[in-house]
Amino acid sequence: MINREEFLNKRYKAEKRFQMYGKSAIILALLFLAVFLFKIFSTGYTAFQKTWIIVPINYDPEFMYLDADQKPSMEDLQDSEYFDVGIESFAALDQNANEDQITDIKRMFAFIFEEEIKDHILLNPDDFGKIVEVKLTASDDLDQVFKGNYPRDLPEERRRVNDYQLKIFDKLNSEGKVVSNFNFSFFTNADSREAELAGIASSFMGSLFSILVCLAVSFPVALLAAIYLEEFAPKNRLTDFIEVNINNLAAVPSIVFGLLGLGVLLAVFGLPRSTPLVGGITLSLMTLPTIIIAARASLKAVPPSIREAALAMGASKMQTTLHHTVPLSLPGTLSGTIIGLAQALGETAPLILIGMVAFVNTIPGSPMDPAASLPVQIYIWAESAERGFVEKVSACIMVLLIFLVLMNLAAQMIRHKFEKKWN
Amino acid sequence: MNKIEAKKVNVFYGDKQALFDINMDIPERQVTALIGPSGCGKSTFLRCLNRMNDVIEICKVEGEIKINDYDINQKSTDVVRLREKIGMVFQKPNPFPKTLYENISYGPEIHGMAQSKDELDQIVEDSLKKAALWNEVKDRLHEPGTGLSGGQQQRLCIARAISVKPEVILMDEPCSALDPIATAQIEELIDELKKEHTIVIVTHSMSQAARVSQQTGFFHLGKLIEVGSTDKIFKNPNQQQTQDYITGRFG
Amino acid sequence: MTEKPHTVKSYEEQLQQLTNNLVIMGGNCETALGNSIKALCNNDNTIADTVINNDTVIDNFESQIEQEVVDLIALRQPMAIDLRETVTALKISSDLERIGDLAKNISKRTKLINNNLPYNLTQSIERVGAIVQKQLKLVLDSYTNRSPEIALDVWEKDEEVDNLTNLCMEEVIKYLKSGNENIEYGSHLLFVTKNIERIGDHVTNIAEQIYFLVKGSYLEGDRPKGSQPIVNGEK
Repeated sequence: MINREEFLNKRYKAEKRFQMYGKSAIILALLFLAVFLFKIFSTGYTAFQKTWIIVPINYDPEFMYLDADQKPSMEDLQDSEYFDVGIESFAALDQNANEDQITDIKRMFAFIFEEEIKDHILLNPDDFGKIVEVKLTASDDLDQVFKGNYPRDLPEERRRVNDYQLKIFDKLNSEGKVVSNFNFSFFTNADSREAELAGIASSFMGSLFSILVCLAVSFPVALLAAIYLEEFAPKNRLTDFIEVNINNLAAVPSIVFGLLGLGVLLAVFGLPRSTPLVGGITLSLMTLPTIIIAARASLKAVPPSIREAALAMGASKMQTTLHHTVPLSLPGTLSGTIIGLAQALGETAPLILIGMVAFVNTIPGSPMDPAASLPVQIYIWAESAERGFVEKVSACIMVLLIFLVLMNLAAQMIRHKFEKKWN
Repeated sequence: MNKIEAKKVNVFYGDKQALFDINMDIPERQVTALIGPSGCGKSTFLRCLNRMNDVIEICKVEGEIKINDYDINQKSTDVVRLREKIGMVFQKPNPFPKTLYENISYGPEIHGMAQSKDELDQIVEDSLKKAALWNEVKDRLHEPGTGLSGGQQQRLCIARAISVKPEVILMDEPCSALDPIATAQIEELIDELKKEHTIVIVTHSMSQAARVSQQTGFFHLGKLIEVGSTDKIFKNPNQQQTQDYITGRFG
Repeated sequence: MTEKPHTVKSYEEQLQQLTNNLVIMGGNCETALGNSIKALCNNDNTIADTVINNDTVIDNFESQIEQEVVDLIALRQPMAIDLRETVTALKISSDLERIGDLAKNISKRTKLINNNLPYNLTQSIERVGAIVQKQLKLVLDSYTNRSPEIALDVWEKDEEVDNLTNLCMEEVIKYLKSGNENIEYGSHLLFVTKNIERIGDHVTNIAEQIYFLVKGSYLEGDRPKGSQPIVNGEK
């Protein structure tokens, strides 16, 4: 009797222990996730801020090589040079500056200062001949200094920002001429060699186009394959063989698909390299087995009684499949598809092989234009030496994660919505 | 008059023979019940009558099954036409996960039986009325069929089966998932339906076979042991095996 | 029993119990009949009293069997052989109960007859009583053995019983005619003879039930009838 009591206690204890193992496993997993997210966010959030320096710009007609007495037309403003305007205005920041120091001051700004000066006068033609304050993008080094990511106490020769630049910067900062605002250009700019100008627009669009191409190619093919295999194909050695191979295909390392894309799509079919079209097709090879497996599983999950009901009503095999089985399997198929696409979205290796790793500083307008993709962008930036790219990498990861979370949410919603409707 | 005449029907699942030399006549506009222990082949025989065994790849049916003197068990038989003539109701209610209306209209639609929407409406209404379901569901024809109770779902399936005006209705244990009240409603319905249709019903409940059928066939181990009028079978069967089965002396 | 046992043992036991009760009840009736004839012929009121008192036992058996039959039908829904078993048990029990009543009636009349009866009369009644008793025994045997052949035998022998009762009836009428002082006892004896004949009929009924029980069909043709009963005392 006492033995049995002890035995029972042991069983309860064993169960408690088992539950504890499970809980600690979850806690560990959550911990990893939290560390990862904290790291990403803490380094990445600053990338969404951008530093500007407000500089009084002297729109002197002399520097613009225009007639001072006459009001210039828009064409004149469009065509004129602004480099000297910039240089003169920079020189005015420090009256005593020599040639080298003026160059240093110029380097405090992004190289597109000319464009920014020009954009301002084009928007405000009345400022012609006046001195007005204009917001200019600070160089990535100063941006990092301002965000506090750049150590000032290093010896000067090991710094990319010299003491003179820091002096001018601090002076401007104390005058309130240094401002920090939301970094829209991170989302609207294409990639750039200059960290302060680099954005994800190109890679984002590249990813989007790739995914769309991937969806357009893999979904219909996979669905048809799954329907045929599950509903029509006779069960014999051949179909068994095909099934095993589809499962194997899902386990093939993605880089192999990249080689396939390189060897077949680029070399044989001569499709344009570095484009989302080729990337999407390559990714679809990867997604295909995932969708086929998901679609077959959800077709299999449709109760056979529904098929029997339709067949017994005199529906043909095709009618049974298209009217009843496929619509019922669609939620499962769609969420499988989205999961497959999310996988494809995060894929880097095959894209590198087909050339989507190239530096692309234009925003692609169609799948036929060269583009990067988000994970490849992360890879490119992570390789770059400039300190300004470190935060960009994290920011890009955040965007990618949000994209993935949204896709998974969509998968959940589709599943939930359709499954709730019937039963 | 016999609606269905089965002669020397043998059914094989792969190497395994499921039915042995079944000879059975099924009279028109009567209810014929098939009874027997599980795995005795009664459902298999039922599924021969509308060639539902075709769905099972390894299943092979031999012999002659004549319906209206036409052998349905030949290659040239159009299965779609055959199943239009021979409806089927299954063990578990299996309405399509669509609205009540779509459940009934599906058959007439795929067979092109209605020329207009009005005609289709009429077929739906008639079928539901015949299945004694109209009054319960007429206000929610466009709600999902899966929202009904088990008994209502089964009557919906019967309504779906009769929507294409079949000559024969096959029922495979139609009440095994239902409570006694719903069972009684279905049995009453079967009584009504036999005025216009020939009904073959497989059932595990002997009392149900006794209540609804005029003719009963007893299957055991793939053989038709005895077939005869229901009251003869249940009062004084000819075969000892039949008697042992219906009095609960089996195995 | 030739049938295999039921899968449900308690059902089997219930049916067995029903058969057993019926057999015991039949035995009681057999005893009652034998005793009542014996009491009459020996003019033994003690035996007659036993018969009268024991009739309640038979009545109780009948109501118990009725209860069991109703239970079986309500709770077990017997089919085929079991159904016939149950239904015939009900009918046989009511026949047996009537046999018991008739035997009791004979004994009641015995108590009203105090004189010794003429030897030839008692002998004749004893003879017909014995044959009816034998019939009853046979029919009960056929029930326990589920033997339609014996039942058929019994059924066919009813003619003989009827003829013997008619002969006996003639003797009684002769006895009545032989003197006015005989009218009281003689009329009692008429009823006794009639009762014995009725018992024979019930036995035949039981034989028919047994035949149906085993064969599932009814005995064909009219029941065998003896010569017409004597109305005016002359042949």
